[in-house]
Amino acid sequence: MQKRLYYILLLILTGVGFWALGVRFMDGMSVTHLTSYFSWGLWVVFYIFFIGLSAGSFLLSTMIYVFRMHALERVGRLSLLSALFSLIAGLMFVLIDLGHPERFWHTLVYRNMSSVLEWEIHFYLLYILLVLGELWLVMRDDLSAMATNDTGIRGTLGKILSLGYRTAPTQEGQAKQAHTVERWVKILGIIGIPMALGVHGGTGSIFAVQIAKPYWNSSIVPIIFIVSALVSGSALVTFLYSFFGEKDAEKPNVLASLSNLLIMFIGIDLILVFAEFLIGLYSGIPQDMQSLKAVVAGQYGPIFWIGQIGLAALLPIVLISLSHKNGSDLMKGLAGLSTVIGIIAVRINLILPAYVSPQIPSLEKAYVDSRLVYSYFPSSIEILTSIGIIALVVLLFSVAWELLPVVSNSGHQTSGRRTESYEINTKGPTHTA
Amino acid sequence: MSELIKEEGPQKGAGQQKVSRRNLLADLAKATVGLAAGVAVLSASAGQVEAESSTPQLAPSPAPLAKQIPQDQLILRMQRELYKALQKPAEQRQWAMVIDQRKCVGCSSCTVACKAENKLPPGVVYRPVIEEEYGTFPNVSRRFLPRPCMHCTNPPCIKVCPVAATYKQKDGIVVIDYDKCIGCRYCISACPYGARTFDWGEYYTEGTPELEKYELEPAFEYGEKRARVKHNSPINNTRKCHFCLHRLNEGMLPMCVTTCIGRATYFGDKSDPESLVSELIGSSRVMRLKEELGTEPNLYYLV
Repeated sequence: MQKRLYYILLLILTGVGFWALGVRFMDGMSVTHLTSYFSWGLWVVFYIFFIGLSAGSFLLSTMIYVFRMHALERVGRLSLLSALFSLIAGLMFVLIDLGHPERFWHTLVYRNMSSVLEWEIHFYLLYILLVLGELWLVMRDDLSAMATNDTGIRGTLGKILSLGYRTAPTQEGQAKQAHTVERWVKILGIIGIPMALGVHGGTGSIFAVQIAKPYWNSSIVPIIFIVSALVSGSALVTFLYSFFGEKDAEKPNVLASLSNLLIMFIGIDLILVFAEFLIGLYSGIPQDMQSLKAVVAGQYGPIFWIGQIGLAALLPIVLISLSHKNGSDLMKGLAGLSTVIGIIAVRINLILPAYVSPQIPSLEKAYVDSRLVYSYFPSSIEILTSIGIIALVVLLFSVAWELLPVVSNSGHQTSGRRTESYEINTKGPTHTA
Repeated sequence: MSELIKEEGPQKGAGQQKVSRRNLLADLAKATVGLAAGVAVLSASAGQVEAESSTPQLAPSPAPLAKQIPQDQLILRMQRELYKALQKPAEQRQWAMVIDQRKCVGCSSCTVACKAENKLPPGVVYRPVIEEEYGTFPNVSRRFLPRPCMHCTNPPCIKVCPVAATYKQKDGIVVIDYDKCIGCRYCISACPYGARTFDWGEYYTEGTPELEKYELEPAFEYGEKRARVKHNSPINNTRKCHFCLHRLNEGMLPMCVTTCIGRATYFGDKSDPESLVSELIGSSRVMRLKEELGTEPNLYYLV
């Protein structure tokens, strides 16, 4: 019953979103409240939010498949799957933000080697292939099992997605296959690390290379993008696994490891943000100063203090430290959820404050027009399309979760060896969970 | 009287500036002939008739350029220099604009002329005039800063375009290929001068009983006939000042230069050391916006 209600709600939201998307494509960019002086808004905020979630989730998966953090093995597929769907969401947002979305293919045909955005689009496409490849490798045994054992939609899905692969009947053959998977997943993971860093560090560089915006024009910006991506990725996986993962003896350990990682990433992120603001406010370059003031004590203050500091840092730290005392999985999940929502605030504050001050003093008064102002609040169409896209992706993710072997392990481990000799192996119960 | 003449040469006396009635009449006559020729060119090119026979009129004036030209004839000098520059291959000329802030009275007629010439829709402006105020009462003064595109030598907007839709022509003009542009607005963010605006697809008479037909009339930017109707470029594209490239190619000065009531805007070929703009750029009053960013604008201000 609950599940049905959940799907109905998602379908309604998706429907509303599709209507809003229709309006956006019919009427063009005039449906937004963007201006020529405030040229990127809510859609770009969600674009970098989802690219961040994707890169973060993927980097988390490399800790399992490359660095062999066995404690997190349970969430390996989950993090790859959320990396895939987050990336799809991010690309949808960047697509609807284009004035001429029908010309998206121009980015692959007309080249400008000096454009960060050009490179990023190529990175995204290669990265999506890499994630798909890795996901298929780690799930192929289960897909093969689905194809042979299940009937109905799951059976069909297994047949299609397994691409003809079948688990070998003999023990020897299985060991061989497992070895192949292990090697290839590791190779893909190793390629994937610079790629995921490129995906989100590069996304940060889209902003950081702009000399016109002192608020962005800093080499710490891409680093903050990467670290906050790690925060959001591990928070999302913590939340999903805690709320929807199967309950068993392993779960508290996995969650304890996840939440420790999350705290570590939040800590690094806080240091970087502190450094950015301290240096910026100390230097006092006027245009930068106006942006920083808007964040710390201006119109973006509530988003900063409640969202970025409250929801994305303090609340998860408190919840996780409390959960260590009473061993509550739910609290860790809540910490994850709070962080994910808080990261939206982080993304808002990474984009919007750069546009609060004119490039040349008094430019806003030189020619008065509603599209030539330095203020912005998203229009209802912008908000509804965003809700719609998010609902659609959550819907697709939920269906994938239902149908595909995401969390359940068939006992056929992808990483064959399990010794206690690895440095970051936290297989044993290291926490009183 | 004029800053320019003083700078141009001390060898000529002040008497030179007095224009006798006869000279004035002669000038007027010349101007009338020029105007008539201009009209002829316009009507010929508009009608696409006898385009060949009218081209000789675009040829440079055979008369040598006088070093000393009265203020009211600077436009003729710029016109002649424009013809001269157009005879050269594109890569040998470098268009530049000079704006004399002491002469600018802030009438915004350049802004309006530009809007009219390029048929700019709401929210799109290529050349706003910024009003700057200095001092505290009672010691106050005002200065005006028209801000077209700087046509930088090192333009940040071109670097970031993901589809190479915006690029620098050989003659130094930064242009946009409307058919390539995907409307991502990266260049708008990247411009340190706010010189790029987005065409949101709005109309002035939208929401009134009738969408006036003149709003759908095509502009001739870049010499292309583009009707501004739904979803067609330049709607949902970035737009910017292009030094009236379509006029330049026909031997006409940019609209803002032609229309300036105080002759505060000058235009010409920077690579020609004898041109008016080259002379003005040599002034000690010269200034460029945000030099510290290394964009090397080709738009100079005289402060």
